[in-house]
Amino acid sequence: MSRKSPPRVELLQGTLDVLILRTLLTGPTHGHAIAKHIQRTSEDLLQVETGSLYPALHRLEAKGWIAASWELSDKGKRAKYYHLTPQGRKHLASEHSKWDAFARAMGLILNPGDQEA
Amino acid sequence: MSSFFRKLNWLLQCGRKEAELREELEFHLDAEAEEGKEAGLAQEQAKWAAHRDLGNTTLLQENVRAVWIWTFWEHLVQDVRYAVRMMAGNKTFSTLAVLSLALGIGANTAIYSFMDSILLRSLPVSDPASLVVLKWHSRAPDPNEGTEGKPAHVMHSMNGSADADPKLGLVAPIFPFPAFEVLQKNDSVLSSVFAYRPARDLNVMVKGQADITQGEYVSGDYFRGLQIAPAAGRLIILDDDRVESPAVAVVSMKFSQKRFGSAANAAGQTILINNVPLTVVGVTPPEFFGIDPAAAPDLYLPLHSNVLLEAANPFGTRANTYLAQNEYWIEMMARLRPGVSITQAQAALAPQFHQWVDSTASNDIERANLPTLLVQQGGGGLESLRRQYSKPLYFLMTLVGLILAIACANIANLLLARATARRGEMALRLSLGAGRLRLVRQLLTESVMLASFGGLLGILFAVWGIRLLTLLLANGQTDFTLHANLNWHVLGVAAALSISTGVLFGLAPALQSTRVDVVPALKKLRASESRSRVRLSLSRVLVVLQIALSLLMLVAAGLFGRTLSNLQSVETGFNRENVLLFHLNARQAGHRETEIISFYKDLQERFRTVPGVRNVSLANYPLIGWGHWGTNISVSDKPVPRTVFLTVGPEFFTTMQIPIVLGRGIGERDQPGSPAVVVVSELFAKTSFGNENPVGHHLTFGGGGSSIPARDMEIVGVTRNARYGDLKHDTPPVVYVAYNQNPMPVDEMTYTLRTAGDPLAYVNTVREIVHRADARVPVDQVRTQAAEIDQTINQEIIFARLCTAFAVLALMIAAVGLYGTMSYNVARRTGEIGIRMALGAQRGTVIWMVLREVLILAAVGLAISVPAAFLTSKLVESFLFGMKPNDPLAMTLAVATLLSAALLAGYLPARKASRIDPMIALRHE
Repeated sequence: MSRKSPPRVELLQGTLDVLILRTLLTGPTHGHAIAKHIQRTSEDLLQVETGSLYPALHRLEAKGWIAASWELSDKGKRAKYYHLTPQGRKHLASEHSKWDAFARAMGLILNPGDQEA
Repeated sequence: MSSFFRKLNWLLQCGRKEAELREELEFHLDAEAEEGKEAGLAQEQAKWAAHRDLGNTTLLQENVRAVWIWTFWEHLVQDVRYAVRMMAGNKTFSTLAVLSLALGIGANTAIYSFMDSILLRSLPVSDPASLVVLKWHSRAPDPNEGTEGKPAHVMHSMNGSADADPKLGLVAPIFPFPAFEVLQKNDSVLSSVFAYRPARDLNVMVKGQADITQGEYVSGDYFRGLQIAPAAGRLIILDDDRVESPAVAVVSMKFSQKRFGSAANAAGQTILINNVPLTVVGVTPPEFFGIDPAAAPDLYLPLHSNVLLEAANPFGTRANTYLAQNEYWIEMMARLRPGVSITQAQAALAPQFHQWVDSTASNDIERANLPTLLVQQGGGGLESLRRQYSKPLYFLMTLVGLILAIACANIANLLLARATARRGEMALRLSLGAGRLRLVRQLLTESVMLASFGGLLGILFAVWGIRLLTLLLANGQTDFTLHANLNWHVLGVAAALSISTGVLFGLAPALQSTRVDVVPALKKLRASESRSRVRLSLSRVLVVLQIALSLLMLVAAGLFGRTLSNLQSVETGFNRENVLLFHLNARQAGHRETEIISFYKDLQERFRTVPGVRNVSLANYPLIGWGHWGTNISVSDKPVPRTVFLTVGPEFFTTMQIPIVLGRGIGERDQPGSPAVVVVSELFAKTSFGNENPVGHHLTFGGGGSSIPARDMEIVGVTRNARYGDLKHDTPPVVYVAYNQNPMPVDEMTYTLRTAGDPLAYVNTVREIVHRADARVPVDQVRTQAAEIDQTINQEIIFARLCTAFAVLALMIAAVGLYGTMSYNVARRTGEIGIRMALGAQRGTVIWMVLREVLILAAVGLAISVPAAFLTSKLVESFLFGMKPNDPLAMTLAVATLLSAALLAGYLPARKASRIDPMIALRHE
């Protein structure tokens, strides 16, 4: 395929859950849209494997962090819409702060010069 | 919705979910393809791209499915692992809780399994519900009513069991043979009537080997009435049960295998029974044990062979008693016609019996005391076993029920204490966002696991318990017929009870502690006062309950322990140690007067020559365990009431070490032809002669309407009183008669050997000597005198041992429960105690503060259980010996034991409290 794509980044283990939860923070949507949203928002750096997206969605549902309902999509088809539960919101918050701390720590170590700047 | 129920829901709705997943993935593919088309791909290409992007759909579906299942199990595994960690962290409590539950479940299952096999099981025959047992009841005959020499009722002679019933009077299952014939004629309510009579201690000779075997005389339609099919050959039929018929026998499956190798080999063989040849015609099926679960005979003989086989027995049935109208000796069962109830049968048969029995009365007194027919359920077989064991079993059942109650209370208490201790943890987890039901579920997992461990171990204990009980009840009897199997229903009930206790007492605190108001609970990790008081008082109630129940067990243990020690310290008047007893019946094997006397005498001589045997003698009965025999005995024509007799051989008093007070014992010089002599007990001497020396006086033995012909005997000696009969009843006056001068024919004999060292070491020598003397005479009932006595108090020994074990168990559980409650209490009050100590409270004061609470709990427990013990101990009165049910010593001992155990259990936490460092305690606050 000739489509030009930027170098892809492999998703780190466990990050997909957070990405899904974050995506749902903007409102309920279906699996396909979640994948597209992550891809677009990360400027195509992150490609969500469909093969792991759906198991992840069901896992999150089982954990009670997200819930699902069947609704009509904008194309008029029945689709499974996921939305965040209060628990999921809580979990996202704690994961978010963990990621912030982690990212900051990584940044501090990888770019020591930035600190002076 | 909680995750737990959602997952449950998922599992239940698998099919719908599969369809939903397919639809969800299809939607994805469509959306992807749509996008591809928008990007300028052809429809087909876009579809392909979408599929390629999605990858392997089946694999994806598998992965999603795995998520569904996995999270459910994941949580379960998490819970289980956490529960195991919690249990391991609290080893003492967990072990005790599991053990006490297991013992409770195990003991209950074992006892109930026995109950079931003894009291509830039906006979292994077809349609047992239609079987009935026939009995009669009669106003208990007053001996004063009979005029001189004439009996007061139509039952001139009763040979079988009879019982006194408070409501019905005398109740007995024995009938004269003509009554059987009368009832057989009724075919309106009964489809068959059959008769039987135990044939005890038959001498059976098979292939040159003689053994004592238990049998049953049965009427010709016994097997037809029970609807039993033979395992080999044929069973007894009507034609076998006639006077002229050739003598035949049917053997049990077990007997055929033991003595003939197999059932097929048995049929057609000739065997000798009581020295009479009979032909074995068939074998009963393996599951059939007759109609008395207590007996399980190995031989079935036609009723009419009774006269033939017992011809030599001086007390056996004779042809004239066989048909006599006033001789009561055969038992009957009947099968009801389909649709006929017991009441209908009773209504139809009673008048018929009355009419017949009325014709057998010879005077008005007899007519006034006529027996009335009783029809009772027979599907469970005869009730001798039930009568023997039902009371003790009901008692044991109550005991183990109490154990289970204590164990459940213990589990409940443990779970309560743990839940309270973990309020802080729960609050913390709730505040961190844990689902409430998730926590409840985890707590439940813990309690259910605890209970399940108890249940599993309980199965093991039940199996052991059944084996142990069989051993205890059999007490060395090799022919013990009672066998119980593990009863799964009972086990299920006991396990369900324990698990529901776990769930109930796990769930209540779990719900409560997860409803905790997070903020105050977190601020003050120790439980808030208002809530904990409620829960604590529940735990106190449980401790009080345990204390109260334990006291009941302790009282039972005390009562039975004292009963046993009373029985064991009963003065027998002879030396029971180092005596070997065994039983011979030379008459059954064919020996007759007067040769039988020299046979017995000759054997006595031979036993004397065995090295290590100090003295040898013989008597018709052993002193203890076989009851005693009475006859009319009078001194100068004045009867000496209640006097019993024993016929003994030379050297009897030397062998048993019964001291002779006056005159001499019975010796070699007392021969059949020499003047008849008798030795009497001190009690007899005192009763008949006061302070006068009875030696040289005469008495009349037998006569006066008894079956023994009268004989004049000279009193040659007086012995110290010795026990004869049993340990529990006072021994009446005894006369000892020389066995070879007994006016009755010499019959069975029990030899007594006083040995150096273990009496059982001589058994083989004894068997060899008897076998050489006459191989037809089997040596039976070999045991030591001490074992014989123990056998008579077997039930008391079992009760004392089991009760003590149960009481120790109950006390241990209760003490640990108390210890746990107090420890928790002390831990909760650390701050308060710290302040008290900072303000100058002494260690002693702190210890006393804790112990006072223990004592209050114990006192409340005692206040409930002491009156209860006084009330309930009356129920076991019939099991006691030598004491009243509210024996003060047993009560005091129980209370003292309980109090010391309580104080010990309370002292450990009290000491811990007294060692609290005020500084640390206050800082902790």
